[in-house]
Amino acid sequence: MGKNNSIKTVWIALLIFLFLPFILSAPLATEMLIYSLFALGFNILLGQTGVISFGHAAYFGLGAYFAGIALRYFGSSVWTSLLASIVVGGVAAVLIGALSIKKKGVYFAMISLAFAQMFYFLALSALKKWTGGEDGLKFIPILKLDFPFHVDLASPYPLYFFVYFIVALSIFAIWRILESPFGRLLQAIRENEERTEACGFDTTMAKFISLVFSGIFSGLAGGLLTVYLGYVPVTTLFWMTSGTVVMMTILGGMHSFIGPVVGASLFLLLQDEISYLTDRWEMYVGAMFMALVLLFPEGIVGTIKDKIETKRKRVQESQWVGDVS
Amino acid sequence: MVDFSVEKGQLKSIIGPNGAGKTTLFNLIAGVFIPSSGRIYFDNKDITSKKVHQISQLGITKTYQITHVFPRLTAFENIRISVQSRMSSFNFWRRVGTFSRINKKAEEILTLVTLADSHDRPASTLSHGERKYLEIGIALATEPKILLLDEPTAGMSPAETIEATKLIRSLTDQLELTVILVEHDMSVVMEISDEVMVLNEGSVLAQGTCEEISCNTIVQRVYLGERNE
Amino acid sequence: MLFGFPPEIYLMQIVFGLALGAIYVLLASGLSIIFGLLDVINFAHGTFYMLGAYAVYVAVSLTGNFWIGLVCAVLIVALFGALTEWTLLKRLYKEEPFYPLLLTFGMAVAIPDAMKFIFGLIGKVVEYPSGLVGAIMAGPILLPKYRLFIIVLTAFVMILLWLFLKKSDLGMIIRAATRDSLMVQVLGVNVSRIWTVGFSIGVGLAALGGAVAAPMVSAVPDMGVEMTVECFVVVVIGGLGSLGGAILGGLIIGQVVSFVSLFAGDYSNVAIFFAMAVILLIRPRGLFGEAGRL
Repeated sequence: MGKNNSIKTVWIALLIFLFLPFILSAPLATEMLIYSLFALGFNILLGQTGVISFGHAAYFGLGAYFAGIALRYFGSSVWTSLLASIVVGGVAAVLIGALSIKKKGVYFAMISLAFAQMFYFLALSALKKWTGGEDGLKFIPILKLDFPFHVDLASPYPLYFFVYFIVALSIFAIWRILESPFGRLLQAIRENEERTEACGFDTTMAKFISLVFSGIFSGLAGGLLTVYLGYVPVTTLFWMTSGTVVMMTILGGMHSFIGPVVGASLFLLLQDEISYLTDRWEMYVGAMFMALVLLFPEGIVGTIKDKIETKRKRVQESQWVGDVS
Repeated sequence: MVDFSVEKGQLKSIIGPNGAGKTTLFNLIAGVFIPSSGRIYFDNKDITSKKVHQISQLGITKTYQITHVFPRLTAFENIRISVQSRMSSFNFWRRVGTFSRINKKAEEILTLVTLADSHDRPASTLSHGERKYLEIGIALATEPKILLLDEPTAGMSPAETIEATKLIRSLTDQLELTVILVEHDMSVVMEISDEVMVLNEGSVLAQGTCEEISCNTIVQRVYLGERNE
Repeated sequence: MLFGFPPEIYLMQIVFGLALGAIYVLLASGLSIIFGLLDVINFAHGTFYMLGAYAVYVAVSLTGNFWIGLVCAVLIVALFGALTEWTLLKRLYKEEPFYPLLLTFGMAVAIPDAMKFIFGLIGKVVEYPSGLVGAIMAGPILLPKYRLFIIVLTAFVMILLWLFLKKSDLGMIIRAATRDSLMVQVLGVNVSRIWTVGFSIGVGLAALGGAVAAPMVSAVPDMGVEMTVECFVVVVIGGLGSLGGAILGGLIIGQVVSFVSLFAGDYSNVAIFFAMAVILLIRPRGLFGEAGRL
């Protein structure tokens, strides 16, 4: 991930997002921002560190629920509720990571799914009193921002730009983390964990911290979803949400910084379009995902980058041939 | 059962037929395996039960027989990340380009292993010989006190082997390393070793200087079929 | 009376737990075989379980006979598994093991929805075979015949499987033909066929589990996901790659679910996750897991 290139793409994406609510609709664009953040957070673990989790709905969903609980039961401000979602995302990652990060990749993938399902069932039945069960957490008070200035979060455009602000800050934070020495360490772990350890790094601790960062940003995305929706659907904890973020990330390209953003946005756009035509969205997206894995595993951004790279090499080679003849 | 020691500044070679346990020995020293009995001491400290990364931080680094690099990272980054291991990595905020000391050191080592021209090439695109050099470079970047080289010239052409042998010896002298070398190529062993140890089926068959070993009849018998140049 | 229940209830719960455990055993052993052979975690394992249930529904509707239906169902789904492995999964073996996993995940998303499309959302009822309706009285205990059947069938299948893998030629080849083995280099294309056979056996076991469960739970499109997750918990507890672990893990989980639903119905579906968490804390390798890197 070349650092000069990736920061440019971030600026371009943010620029596009400035105008997106006016081109598409504000709600759709807001969802794109939220899921972009979710996918970026997820990709800290997958694309950068090489660890796949099928249970990221846990962080997203817990973030959403705790933001909702703060807003509804404790009457907290929106800022506090987002803080709650960040903290719970991190704490959940600490707990799950403590039990599972040492395990081989396949085990971790299975365990992550299992714990996310556990939270789902807890919200669905065991803790129904607090979470609203199947109906989700409702009756959250009308949202507004009072500090630093008044923003009416019940109307679409102010809400969009508030989410935009938070997501933009987060994107820069994630970018800084990935470009830091720690970020490079994660990359090395992805490329060859055994060798990284042999070089003297505590790879288990590094993967653990990567998971915690991932949980924090995924939790924040969940909190933003609650602010956006005004309630918390139980599907935020459902396995399909974990699956969705995996698919979004792979679609966009897990080995580039901006890939998850592209993937999340395109995925939501497709979902919007296809849901008009049929109820069987999952059948199509599953089939599309299978085709993606078979044919374009590097995703959209990855495939484009590869094509550019191949073209550049061919131009170089033809220049050399030209020189020789 | 192996009982042996190495002194500071020595270049000691370990030879022996396939399956003698040479790579296993390296894995034991580097902390990949835990010995079923016995102890390992480094600098008078017991390191027997320490983990791989801890042993590396103490100053023992090994290379891999089959190159084990970071495929999609550039040759430079391969070495830079290894240099980074000697500083605290849980720095999340500063951009990696601002750590000039690390970058400079990485450049130096890249040049030392003659890979400066491959600076920005992904490690997966390097030739076999270049990758063997990268192996050594990654290991050197950890500022080892003891360097365990596992068949560094395996698969190299005769010309490459000569170059590599010269490089290893000069690095050992220049950087005042202690090196333990596992090799099959006798010419390499005889050329640069201070001392040689022969392993067979998990035990030490003989130890001594190059002349002593090449005159040892038991060793000759075990090596029937090997060419002694 | 013990904790509010007469002792007969406990015995019956044990039997329920064994029947449930038997299904887990079938699935977990299938998953273990696939993983042991192909290095792939089949995220669509529960999907094949679901397909087994639907297949027996269709087969019984067509033939009118449960037993014929059962055999046909397992064969059809195993064949379907072979087809997907041959045409799709195989292409990804040269990549990192992570890609075949993703493909199976895609299947787990697409296929259940396709079933909704074909069969609709309402579950399909499969009648109990006429010989196995009702229960046997063993003293004060009522033992449902069908559940006893499941236990016996699974035990029989497991013994057959064990004999096949340990004693038969094909079985030994399967055990040796793991993806990174020397056999791959020596035999080339032929090993490819072994992988397909192994995958079929693995999903066939899952389909058997589904077919056998169908009369009790009805064929529902979404029945696969929960089963996949529960299957994962079983192998995490029992240790992957070991048939003994799959069996022990399956039986344990069966008992856990059975007894928790007796005492604390609300928590019955989360109990297994707590059990998994406990095992991860005290014995991370799992009960029979491979040593070395956890």
